[in-house]
Amino acid sequence: MTFQKPIKIAITAMGGQGGGVLSTWIVKLAEQAGYITQYTSVPGVAQRTGATVYYVEIFPGIDDGKTAQKPVLAMMPVPGDVDVVLSAEMMEAGRALQRGFVSGRTTLIASSHRVYSIYEKIAMGDGRGEHGDIIETGQRVAKRFICFDMDVAAQSVGSVISSVLFGALAGSGALPFSRQAFEDTIRAGGKAVESNLAGFELGFSGAHDGASEEQDEDINQSEIGDVSPKVADLLLRMRDDFPPTTHGIIKEGLKRVVDYQDNDYGHLYLDRLQEFAELDKQHGGDRRVWRLTKDVARYLALAMSYEDTIRVAELKVRDTRFDRVREEIRAEQDQYFHITEFFHPRIQEICDILPAGLGAAIMNGFWKDRLGRFLTKGRRITTSKLPGFLLLYFVSSWKFMRRSSYRYALEEKRIAGWIDAIKNACSEDYILACELAGLQRLIKGYGETHERGLRNYHIIMDSYQSLQSGENANQIVIDLKDTALRDEDGEALNKAIASLAERSEAA
Amino acid sequence: MAERSFAKEVQELKIGKGEEFRGEGILAVTKALLQSGVSYVGGYQGAPISHLMDVLSDAEEILEELGVHFEASANEGAAAAMLAASVNYPLRGAVTWKSTVGTNVASDALASVASSGVMGGSLIVVGEDYGEGSSIMQERSHAFAMKSQIWLLDPRPNLESIVEMVEKGFELSEASNTPVMLEMRIRACHVYGSFMAKDNVAPVFKLRDAMENPTRDYGRVVLPPSNFVHEIEKIDRRWPAAVEYIKSQQLNEFLGGTRGDVGIIVQGGMYNTLIRALELAGLSDSFGNTDIPLYCLNVTYPLIEDEVKGFCLDKKAVLMVEEGQPEYLEHNINSILRNADIQTKVVGKEVLPRAGEYTGQVLLEGVRAFMETYSSPRVKDDTDILISALTSEESNSLNENVPLRPVGFCTGCPERPVFSAMKLVQKELGDIHVSCDIGCHLFSILPPFDIGNTTMGYGLGWSGASAFNTESDKRTISIMGDGGFWHNGLVSGVGNAVFNKNDNILVIIDNGYSSATGGQDLLSSRADNKTKSTKHKIEKAIRGLGVKWVRRVHTYRIATMMDTLRDALTTSEKGPKVIIAQAECMLNKQRREKPIRNKLIKEGKRIVRERFGVDPDTCTGDHSCIRLSGCPSLTIKDNPDPLREDPVAHVNNDCVGCGVCGEVSHAAVLCPSFYRADIVYNPSVWDHLSSRMRSGIIHVLQNRRRKKRSQLAFGD
Repeated sequence: MTFQKPIKIAITAMGGQGGGVLSTWIVKLAEQAGYITQYTSVPGVAQRTGATVYYVEIFPGIDDGKTAQKPVLAMMPVPGDVDVVLSAEMMEAGRALQRGFVSGRTTLIASSHRVYSIYEKIAMGDGRGEHGDIIETGQRVAKRFICFDMDVAAQSVGSVISSVLFGALAGSGALPFSRQAFEDTIRAGGKAVESNLAGFELGFSGAHDGASEEQDEDINQSEIGDVSPKVADLLLRMRDDFPPTTHGIIKEGLKRVVDYQDNDYGHLYLDRLQEFAELDKQHGGDRRVWRLTKDVARYLALAMSYEDTIRVAELKVRDTRFDRVREEIRAEQDQYFHITEFFHPRIQEICDILPAGLGAAIMNGFWKDRLGRFLTKGRRITTSKLPGFLLLYFVSSWKFMRRSSYRYALEEKRIAGWIDAIKNACSEDYILACELAGLQRLIKGYGETHERGLRNYHIIMDSYQSLQSGENANQIVIDLKDTALRDEDGEALNKAIASLAERSEAA
Repeated sequence: MAERSFAKEVQELKIGKGEEFRGEGILAVTKALLQSGVSYVGGYQGAPISHLMDVLSDAEEILEELGVHFEASANEGAAAAMLAASVNYPLRGAVTWKSTVGTNVASDALASVASSGVMGGSLIVVGEDYGEGSSIMQERSHAFAMKSQIWLLDPRPNLESIVEMVEKGFELSEASNTPVMLEMRIRACHVYGSFMAKDNVAPVFKLRDAMENPTRDYGRVVLPPSNFVHEIEKIDRRWPAAVEYIKSQQLNEFLGGTRGDVGIIVQGGMYNTLIRALELAGLSDSFGNTDIPLYCLNVTYPLIEDEVKGFCLDKKAVLMVEEGQPEYLEHNINSILRNADIQTKVVGKEVLPRAGEYTGQVLLEGVRAFMETYSSPRVKDDTDILISALTSEESNSLNENVPLRPVGFCTGCPERPVFSAMKLVQKELGDIHVSCDIGCHLFSILPPFDIGNTTMGYGLGWSGASAFNTESDKRTISIMGDGGFWHNGLVSGVGNAVFNKNDNILVIIDNGYSSATGGQDLLSSRADNKTKSTKHKIEKAIRGLGVKWVRRVHTYRIATMMDTLRDALTTSEKGPKVIIAQAECMLNKQRREKPIRNKLIKEGKRIVRERFGVDPDTCTGDHSCIRLSGCPSLTIKDNPDPLREDPVAHVNNDCVGCGVCGEVSHAAVLCPSFYRADIVYNPSVWDHLSSRMRSGIIHVLQNRRRKKRSQLAFGD
């Protein structure tokens, strides 16, 4: 015997994503068609950005309120017993899969965009979860999987994601209601009808046109324009002296260092890199897709373009930056806006750009504290107004002095040490050499953040040398790097180093 | 003004006989109260019954017409004490709160009113925050009913049953002179459904009738010898009267069929989940038609012995579906059967989990186990429902990649910077013992702040650290919201600290509302409220209690907050120290200001809107800023720089321009990547003039640089 059964719909979302609105639309839609409906949720504290589930059941049958026996509808989804799952974010679709809501009879409709959780955001490196597997699993498990970026779609018409999901639900054909009935529900709601209908339209066509997976992003094959004669010699050198597979990253590196300083600096970059290309060749680089050359190309460019006040000022006053801000804040083409920067220059940052002798004299002497006293406060500088703009413009003009500055000397010394370490390691262990090159990734940020990164970098460099760990040295460096990126206070790294030292003593 | 306005829904409360009411469970309760002729309603907000309070507060006009007094009580104790009005007079009253936390606070007054007994029907609506989404300790309200002998209703979770139980609850209360508790599970509170309405009833005997003609009966006062009499009365008179009423009105339901030698006893609130489990096991249809006999307890305390015995007598075993622990019902039924020498086996926690929410999955597994073991012939259900569709590899990958999503502060929340400042001060002075309270500020315990050791209850933040009042090189910090402060903290926290010469620190987060429960107004709210008296300053109250060291700091001023905290932690001055951290709840502020701003922009007034941003080319992807802020609008995105691997910080369009990003990067000496953009709407003549002057010069200089850069172009 087969019974009439309700259609079960679960919505997985974060508090504040409009799951309540979407549920209400579905309820009203079904009620209009004479269905008996029930909807419930457990918002509670999840309203404050947590993950939550909204649950709707709709039952075919006339609800005349009196004679007919009413169905008993459930308060929560049972794994394996859900017909439609709507997820307002990619990882929430993952959570629906995880909780077993998606089975072979489920239509899964999800937005492919990401809203990162606090755990993903606070990582010192890249803590983002992988969602490739979720898409694959969804495609394998669900009866049908509709997935596209509904956030972008919603924003493009000034609507919210619930309208796009509602449209995709209509487009999926998972519910026995006409498109007209869906749209009438939005109209009857009476709120933001036009933008909601526009969002609905995008959702409907997204589902209907069979967008069953994330669309590949257009690979930005930017047009090749003219290479300026000034840098042509750099590119020629690159082509002649380096294997083709490395050209992509080397070109990015060249762009960076030339933009950072000048043409000569580009040649210095290539000079240094060339030594590694040769070393790489000696150690079978062609079999290893030239990893060492590529890694050094990446990290050397970053090391040579360290962030000093000159660099920051230069980037802040660029016309391209002003345009980017306009786009980001969504100001109209002719709308005025002002940009205020939050700087906190300390005596270190000032000395960084002074001539090496003077900078060193201040930093190592009695003036450091005296002058430092005047530099304890943050400064706000409005770059879009003349005084601020001119100040930053002036600072950025000091670029011509950079290569004789105090900081430059420090960085050169460190880069030299880094290069030596990689070279030495390479003769014994190719992977280790690559990993040592990659330690540059630890050095980032400004102020205390930069100091912490630099400290961790030195701790690992020093310990690897003193431990002489032999065969598994590359793994040790990988682990230490991960540890350094896991813990802000540096305690985990200290512990790891201490336990390594113990082990090597015991051995 | 509360977070959600019910101005529209409130109109539904006016509908009369023969009309269909559609809405949430908790609104149905409100309508049922009005249909029952209540004279007064009180309570304290908290999920899942906040909406009941918000609806009543938005419905004051309708209530006035009916002569119903509504009170937003100071706390649950105050609400419970309201029921005293029904002790001497035929006045129906209802009170409501979140349980079990609210019932804990209310239990003093509840025990008293239960001892005195009531003349007018008294209903306590408790919103049971148990299971998924709950933010409190997992306990049962059942224990409170048992200890004070208050009858406990647990209706089936559909609007008709709920409404009927409210109405019958008042009658039961009057028939047995006992307050009655109506237990509403969280999903039942939020369930959307319908029922046929009746007319609202204005109370015949009014509050003013009682005030103008007071009567008094010493026999109803909890003092000797009446208190001894009350205990006997409960057993000899009130209990039997209740049993009689429950039986005669058939509040409990015998559902299902008559087949077989097994049956199921179920709490009313679990009925729908049970039916779904039976349906999935092939033992019921969608309408709840099943051959298995069901005994549905819409009244879970007291149990009706005759009914229990009658149901069990011809059965080999019964399944007791009772959510939560201890399993009071199972114990009770066992004892009834043993006393009557009935050998039916009571199976409850044997096949169902001892603890935790009874979801459809849990009940399905329990029902399967029960039917397989005890039913004859055995019923074996081998449908593949519940068998995971995922491979173990897929499962592992999901477990690894799907992140937890703890709750957190909203975008622009004024409480966040307080904890940014505390985190920075801890970096200087070492870790501090922090005692937390209840409220949004409790999110400080979660990442990215990880601040807070314990939380003892609403308004108990400072008392939670009161043991640490001894000679020490470090002080403790306690946190309390304005909600907790007025709920209980004024006395239990501040009064207690003054009296005991506490030398530690209290930070009061004064954002103007009871925010965590939905933004209701408080004594110290700065807003005008038509029906309540607001604008009573916390500082005045604290000084009145005798605290000398009081500082008020605007929460968004992180540097000032750090200085104040440092001062409080290190000053040689003895005595309690209170920092009042003030700034309005951003949710409420936006709700108020955004429409006004949009209107002014439309009218052509010059408006400047602020928001923040991050320059991706100077951001190096360390995310220190996020670890000190955690604002939802401060997020990450792919690094546009092909050389860098870590994602950059990014401010999305939800930014409300609160300024904390800039303050944090200043205070923590972080990074020059943040910028504030001031966007001008409807520019003035001066805007046009000054912009023309500026941009002329700026463009010339920018173009010069651009030309230079173009000489170094790499062809893309």
